[in-house]
Amino acid sequence: MPTINLNKWILLEKVSLSEGQLKEFLFKLKSEVSPVSDDEYSVEINADRVDMLGLGGVVRALKGISGKELGEPKYTVKETDYMLVIDKVPQRPYALACVIHNVKLSPEAYLKEMIQFQEKLHETIGRKRKKVAIGIHDLRKIKSKTIRYSLVSTNDKIVPLGSTVPMTLSEVLRETEQGRKYGEISLREGRMPAIMDSDYNILSLPPVINSEETRLEPNTNSLFVDVTGTSLDAVSQTLDILATNFAELGAEIGAVMIKESEGTIRKSPLLTHNRLRVSLKEIESILGIKLSQEDAKRFLEMMREDVVIGDGVLEVVIPPYRVDIMNVTDVAEDIAMAYGYENFALNEVKVYRVGSLAPKSSLYRKLRTLIIGAGFQEIYTLILTKSTRQVGEIVQIENPISQEYDSVRNSLIWNMLTFMSNNQHARFPVRVFEIGEVVLRDSTTDTGYRNFFRVSIGVMDSKVSYESIQAPVHEILLALSGEKPEYKRTVNDVFMRGRTAEILLKGRSVGVIGEISPVMLNKFQLLYPVALAELDVDALLEVI
Amino acid sequence: MMLSENEQKIISFLKTKGVSNSQEISSATGLPPSTVFSNLKLLESKGLVKILKEERKKLLFLTEEGRKRLVEGLPEEKLMMVLGGQPRKIEEVKEKMKEDFEIALGWARKRGWIEIDGDLIKPIVKEIQAPERDSLRALSKGQGIDHASVELLLKRKLVERREDKILEVELIKDVEAKPVEIYLTHEMLVSGDWEKREFKEYNVEADPPFLPIGRTHYFRDFIERVKDLMVSLGFSEVSSDYVELEFFNFDVLFQPQDHPAREIHDSFVVKGKGRLPPGRLVEEVKKTHETWWKYRWSPEVASNLVMRSQTTATTSRVLSRSPGSPLRVFTIGKVFRPDAIDATHLIEFHQMDGLVIEEGFNFRSLLSILREIFRGLGVKEVKFKPGYFPFTEPSVEVYGYVDPLGWVEMAGAGLLRREVTSPAGVSEPAGAWGIGIDRLAMLFLGVKDIRDLYSSDIEYLRHRRVV
Repeated sequence: MPTINLNKWILLEKVSLSEGQLKEFLFKLKSEVSPVSDDEYSVEINADRVDMLGLGGVVRALKGISGKELGEPKYTVKETDYMLVIDKVPQRPYALACVIHNVKLSPEAYLKEMIQFQEKLHETIGRKRKKVAIGIHDLRKIKSKTIRYSLVSTNDKIVPLGSTVPMTLSEVLRETEQGRKYGEISLREGRMPAIMDSDYNILSLPPVINSEETRLEPNTNSLFVDVTGTSLDAVSQTLDILATNFAELGAEIGAVMIKESEGTIRKSPLLTHNRLRVSLKEIESILGIKLSQEDAKRFLEMMREDVVIGDGVLEVVIPPYRVDIMNVTDVAEDIAMAYGYENFALNEVKVYRVGSLAPKSSLYRKLRTLIIGAGFQEIYTLILTKSTRQVGEIVQIENPISQEYDSVRNSLIWNMLTFMSNNQHARFPVRVFEIGEVVLRDSTTDTGYRNFFRVSIGVMDSKVSYESIQAPVHEILLALSGEKPEYKRTVNDVFMRGRTAEILLKGRSVGVIGEISPVMLNKFQLLYPVALAELDVDALLEVI
Repeated sequence: MMLSENEQKIISFLKTKGVSNSQEISSATGLPPSTVFSNLKLLESKGLVKILKEERKKLLFLTEEGRKRLVEGLPEEKLMMVLGGQPRKIEEVKEKMKEDFEIALGWARKRGWIEIDGDLIKPIVKEIQAPERDSLRALSKGQGIDHASVELLLKRKLVERREDKILEVELIKDVEAKPVEIYLTHEMLVSGDWEKREFKEYNVEADPPFLPIGRTHYFRDFIERVKDLMVSLGFSEVSSDYVELEFFNFDVLFQPQDHPAREIHDSFVVKGKGRLPPGRLVEEVKKTHETWWKYRWSPEVASNLVMRSQTTATTSRVLSRSPGSPLRVFTIGKVFRPDAIDATHLIEFHQMDGLVIEEGFNFRSLLSILREIFRGLGVKEVKFKPGYFPFTEPSVEVYGYVDPLGWVEMAGAGLLRREVTSPAGVSEPAGAWGIGIDRLAMLFLGVKDIRDLYSSDIEYLRHRRVV
């Protein structure tokens, strides 16, 4: 969940709320607020509400939910004589822009907040600048009224933000942190997109870096905002959110004409208003509450949307900053939030049918009752384990966080031996068991892997015998199946030769049993003998 | 009169001597001096023995080293064993003797048992016996040894002088010591012989020896409790595998492929590709993603394999089979997420996911079921906060009140989006939730460190109180 920091005094003053009210209303808006210092709040914003990643959006939402202002604010858009000319930029085809007048960037908290907003939009809707990138310039420092969005060569020069000397674009990509981080995104065959003035001075290199020449100052009053990207929807949504958030804080939006190479001209920002017709009945059936049309309208206005009431139908005008609203369920949620989740009258839960445990859970319970009766302590170990502890084919994790957990267990034996190894100083005997799942290859499933259900039962003591584990296993299987298990001599790497067998039930192999070989004990740094059995519960399920 | 086994031993010895002292009794009966001491005091209180004198004396005791050497032999004796009558290289002997080597070499040369020839040690004598060994043996049996031997043992720090108390006692009353039985046997009961016998009284107030008992694991008990609760609310349990297709873990749940939460560091990757399910589901999911999220949906990405990062993957598999209504299912199982391991984070933990598909099911019914579940878990007060999950709308986060922590986030829930249900061919309203079980268990079981839920210390498990 994204988190933003906001100046406490500016926020409280803008929304005219007490701290307590602020907390309460943000909670209703899916957000949580906590102080980071005497002057600053940290606010958690849910990923769907990208408009609330900036102060303007938070203020607008709070004014609505607290009932201080209702409906969509009417922000005026002034004509300007700025134009953005777009050339063919195949790797990043879309660009829009706008001008912002009367912007407030001081005290410093405002400028800081604006940069944070830009970065949060880059992270979320911008998909780390791959899908959308934003450039913000001091309008006064741009020398022409016509701005170009075009491809430039990496031999061209720019004074990157934070530098004093001109650098070639290849140098910028190599030597600046931004260049190294984002340089590859839109670089194709030595060419990359740039925003330029009419004299071909590079103002910014989306999505990498801006030019030092249009750097923002505390006294900057007007901005030129460019948004570029790979999806027109995302580019337009981003600019709409930026422009309306500036406007909410008192600035004025200026339109920029966009001229594309095909000759089409449109006015930016688009400030898209979608309309959604929803039936009140449907909202009621989604939420399970009764609403009058007027209530529903007011609730949506509290969420800063305009509504036109028809006959049983609400026409919701979705404001440009609410890019998360897709269909009636989103409208229903907005109504529910304004109605207040705490105001839902809860009912008693009716049970229509009897519930049931999965067959595996039922068998788990039977098995564990029997094994506990035989005097074993249940243990519970992790599924992920160290691959070098395991024997046989294993499922390897491609991106482990440590070698200790770089594979998925293929047997419960290794976890049990590790457990025993950790408990050599405990009071003896150590008699333990585990019931759980392991993962093995299985070509019949759609993933090529499957969970297998196993049981391990083991004893460690100063002396152990084959019978010390065979006797309890024998009685457990007998109790479970009513059949006498049989044992077939076998040879393997885990157990001692002549002291290990395959366990058969009704002729089917259901597990292995034996005394662990000294080589294997050594591998687990075990200095006491261990006898154990591992049962295959899937096989057991088929024969009992 | 009832006498303990030790008391009887002392009495029978005193019968032969009349007057004796604690040291003498100790060496004759083999009882440690402290035991003799306490038993003499008991016998005095029973009026059988009179204490004539109680005095302090300096006595010789074997040191720890002395006791070790008595058993294992002196270093020089070990050296001779190592040589085994053959000349051997110094280095080789040193290797075997370790820290005893220097002392052994010194004494063996002094005693003229060996000689050094170049880098070889040659044995001179065949039969060896260090006199200190005999002295130690004699002392341990309570016998006296001559002054020179005492000095030698003191010098080699094999014995030390310590002050000890000595009791001089006299037997003043003879008692007929009856045989004392330990076990009441079948034979005694058959013959009726038990009437003539006396049975040893036990120290019934002492702690018993250790007996490991069979016990359930406390965290699994908690999980089973949650299952019972869900069954009692009319839910049937379902499950799915740990290795999962990204398709079910993310795509079916309307999580776009370029979503930050799908990046490699947020789930564990398993090598290989899986098979996407046949039928229209894949086509429908692709269409839904491309219409809303505006990107080219890739079947390649969807067929990547991950360790499931949410049990909602199980829910998503249930949905993909286009289940009929009404349906109430739940699953409780492990999910895996790369994370730094500490007291509150592990790379695998449990979630309990629930799914309801019922005609007329609505947000209010969902909140009601959630409250009921938490009531059943023992959380008396819950509050609901609007939330966001890609696959639900309206969405809610559930907070429960827990003393002394206050409000704790416990679950995420919501009505499933149409973008999730319609591709699967589910037309009735559906609600779903996910509850983190480990954290809940920690709160209820008073566990401070999540790793203790999977403790590898058996004593920790043996000591946990059953709740």
